[in-house]
Amino acid sequence: MAEMTGYAGKIARVDLSKGTVTTVETPVEVLKKFLGGSALGVYYLYKEGVVDPSVKPFDAANMLQFMIGPMNGFAPNARSVTVTKSAYNFISIATSGGRAAAELKFAGWDGIQIVGKSSKPVYLEVINDKITIKDAAHLWGKGAQETEKLLLDSIVAPLEFRESIVTDADMTPEWAAIRPPGGKGCGAKRLGAAWVIGQGGENRVWYANVITEGARAHGRYGPGAIMGDKKLKGIVIRGTQGQKFADKAKFLQLTKEIQASEAKDYFWRSYGTAGIGANTANIEDSYPIRNWQWDAWADPDAIKTLEGPFMDFTSFVHRMSCPNCHLHCMYTSQVTSADPLMDGAITDMPDWEAMGMVGGNLGFVELPGTSPNDTYKGTQADRAEGLAKTQFTTFRHDDYGMDYIEGGTLLALVAELRQRNLISAADLDGVDVKWGDVHSFDALLTKIVHREGIGDVLANGTWETAKYFAKKKGNDKILDYPVGQHRYGQPAHDVRGFDKNALEYVTVGRPSEHTGGGGAGFGKADYPAAIAGQNVKCSQDSLVYCIFAAGHWGGRTTGMVQAATGWSDFVEADLAKVGARQYAMNRLFDIHTQQLKDPKKDWDMVSYPKRWFEALPTGSAKGKRAYDGDVNKLFNEALPAYWKARGWSEDKGIPSTDKLKELGIDDIAESIAKTYR
Amino acid sequence: MTERLKERITDLQGQLRDGKIGRRDFLRYASLLGLSVGAAEALAACAPKATPTTAPPAQPTTAPAKPTTAPAAPTTAPPPAAPAKEPKKGHMLMFDPIACTGCLTCAVVCADKYATEYFPDYAKSNLNLEFSRIRPMRWQYVDYPNMCWYCHLIKWAEGSDLAPCAKVCPQNSIVVVPEGEGKAEFTGMGYMTVDRATCLGLEACGRCLEICEDQFGSGISFDPIEKKAQMCSRCGGVPACVDACPEPLALQFVPVGRDGRFYSQTPSEYARSLYYKMYGERGRV
Repeated sequence: MAEMTGYAGKIARVDLSKGTVTTVETPVEVLKKFLGGSALGVYYLYKEGVVDPSVKPFDAANMLQFMIGPMNGFAPNARSVTVTKSAYNFISIATSGGRAAAELKFAGWDGIQIVGKSSKPVYLEVINDKITIKDAAHLWGKGAQETEKLLLDSIVAPLEFRESIVTDADMTPEWAAIRPPGGKGCGAKRLGAAWVIGQGGENRVWYANVITEGARAHGRYGPGAIMGDKKLKGIVIRGTQGQKFADKAKFLQLTKEIQASEAKDYFWRSYGTAGIGANTANIEDSYPIRNWQWDAWADPDAIKTLEGPFMDFTSFVHRMSCPNCHLHCMYTSQVTSADPLMDGAITDMPDWEAMGMVGGNLGFVELPGTSPNDTYKGTQADRAEGLAKTQFTTFRHDDYGMDYIEGGTLLALVAELRQRNLISAADLDGVDVKWGDVHSFDALLTKIVHREGIGDVLANGTWETAKYFAKKKGNDKILDYPVGQHRYGQPAHDVRGFDKNALEYVTVGRPSEHTGGGGAGFGKADYPAAIAGQNVKCSQDSLVYCIFAAGHWGGRTTGMVQAATGWSDFVEADLAKVGARQYAMNRLFDIHTQQLKDPKKDWDMVSYPKRWFEALPTGSAKGKRAYDGDVNKLFNEALPAYWKARGWSEDKGIPSTDKLKELGIDDIAESIAKTYR
Repeated sequence: MTERLKERITDLQGQLRDGKIGRRDFLRYASLLGLSVGAAEALAACAPKATPTTAPPAQPTTAPAKPTTAPAAPTTAPPPAAPAKEPKKGHMLMFDPIACTGCLTCAVVCADKYATEYFPDYAKSNLNLEFSRIRPMRWQYVDYPNMCWYCHLIKWAEGSDLAPCAKVCPQNSIVVVPEGEGKAEFTGMGYMTVDRATCLGLEACGRCLEICEDQFGSGISFDPIEKKAQMCSRCGGVPACVDACPEPLALQFVPVGRDGRFYSQTPSEYARSLYYKMYGERGRV
């Protein structure tokens, strides 16, 4: 194996059916094309045939990958990324912060690829080069928080462990007489990191995620469901091998510059995304309230419940950074409530997405018996209870290990169907879901996570739930209420106000991704600019670093890649090309695995939210609808123009042969593309 | 220092520079000539580093005498670079576990500094946190920056006032480097350090860490190359970690009295306490 810098130079392939661990070496020319992280993960889904429609999401042949990039280790703002075929049968790429990415590099790996299925619950213990498949019977059935605690307590590096040799003779007689040595030896250090699933993943809830550090998640597109299907409860890692650089001094200098810039960034340093709510919810008119029936409360005072300082003074406890990041955007919090169901639960913040998706979207802000049209008349104690409901529902999703964006979308769908009497409480096994009623939502969540009764339907996500009730009730109107493009829940940014353009959600490389980039370009219908933004974001997920810090990396990213890898010919344009490759491969993956002969009709338009085209009832964009309410304009004018700018066909969005050749991926993608053109 | 001693030391430095003797030999000979470990370290640093060897030294039948009063630092040898900040004695590191965000910046700076000092060839292109003397540990929702907190035994009750790790060390390798000795910005000013020349390392010994974890904290670690003990020497009174920390008041270097039992519980025990302090009895996991 050629020695590499930046990269560890190898990926672990774990086959849980056979119980084997082998090493995969990635050729440098492949790394230069895909970098690492998300793009390299998708490359392997093609290379290993997982893209093929014959490989079903819950087949042993599906591959779940934990990937990192060349700078992960000592680079600031590191994230890890999971890449697999989701239970929804589309591409699943999800990133998370935390220490595990660095620990994996220090253990000597650029990724872990898991294939096969274990017959019993297991976890992986990674101590440097040694990866051991271990029994997880004692962890199965436990939540993410407890599982992680137990795994972190179980791991020590060889230099941290030794049997006892100290005797009384090593001490003074007086000392030995008072406190003789206990004979435990060495082993008290706790420096590992872990990725785990909760009960959601164990029970293959389609939107189950992979958690680290209690509340950080590879949140979207259900990697936890695939992990649970493989009976893999967690991965605990301890690495002591450090990282080698082509130019360490330059790497450290650039890191210092990025950190100095971050240290002055009080946008992120002030409550992370929890600081945004009060600034923008009243202004952008893009906030989820009761399944997006409103995007702003008629009384702007309602948002005080989800305002950074109030949430901090009520519940925040501790700021937690990812390695070498000086933004510390995550705050732990503890619920304070008069309701014993919620009181004392530990979670994080809520961040922007949680405030929206399991806050406003479930009606937790308004007082009982009022609507978002009414003046807010609550006390500070009422606000604290509203916050508690949001935090508690966040805690439940994190500890069960489930995406609260798709989860919040699902619960809101069911609540609106009840509001409109399109379904009955009996359809929900007697759970009468109401806006703002945390107990009824929690009862439903318990059914979902254990797949009990109606929970077995809901566990397959929002779109499948809508289809089930539409069929059961013989009422296709039910299909108008799920809010998620490409069959997956829409994050807390609507397309009717001033936040996002609908085309962004239609074209983004992962279903309903809100962090895809290119927003300014979409706003001006400048598709080359939008595409450039999307491509850069893909390179960030491949390197893999955090978009919250991206501004501080500006102009330094290629320098960091060069300093890590020694690729002196690596330039800015190469980053964009990685993104362009990933977009083409994601698109073809989704089309091929679902075998879509008419991708626009059967994929891009299959579940687009009808709500996008309903007028907003309140707020700064009152009366506005996406594309002025014209579905045709979005899908038959804007979308083909975007596809054309990508070099894809205007009727189906299939990359042309020339485009695939230009991107250097015709060898793996052309045979698929040509069957769908 | 006598003229004869100066001559002999200069000769030894030359041999070290030419690679005729290793660093460990230099330190041993210098100690035999009466220099303290700290002073010898400073002199060794003035010559190019020899490649570190991994063979542990033979276990001595009798422990060498621990240097107590060392001769004054040499005046004729090239002086170490002047520290940018005034080194402080009698200080200790204190941290605020709520303000600390666990960003690891302290550990990166420490690891790079000491790896570069002891393993310059390796450190030319490698970074490795295992060389850090400060290791922030993260439990569920709790951060604790673990390191050596300089606890010591209580003479009237325990028969010694040494640090417990120093007391159980069969080589007397854990030493106090007095003010005026040691290498500026690394050792000295009355702070402890490990004499790497005589430490037997984890494979042969490791008593220092064992007794620390048995009854105090977990303040010792072992470097991954020679597997010798490492402990915080407070950078000789100018701790680099404190300068690097980005969070106001999270990590401070302050003059504070200690009675030998300050920060002297294991990281897991402190993490448990912090968890209850921060999240209370209601905290559920």
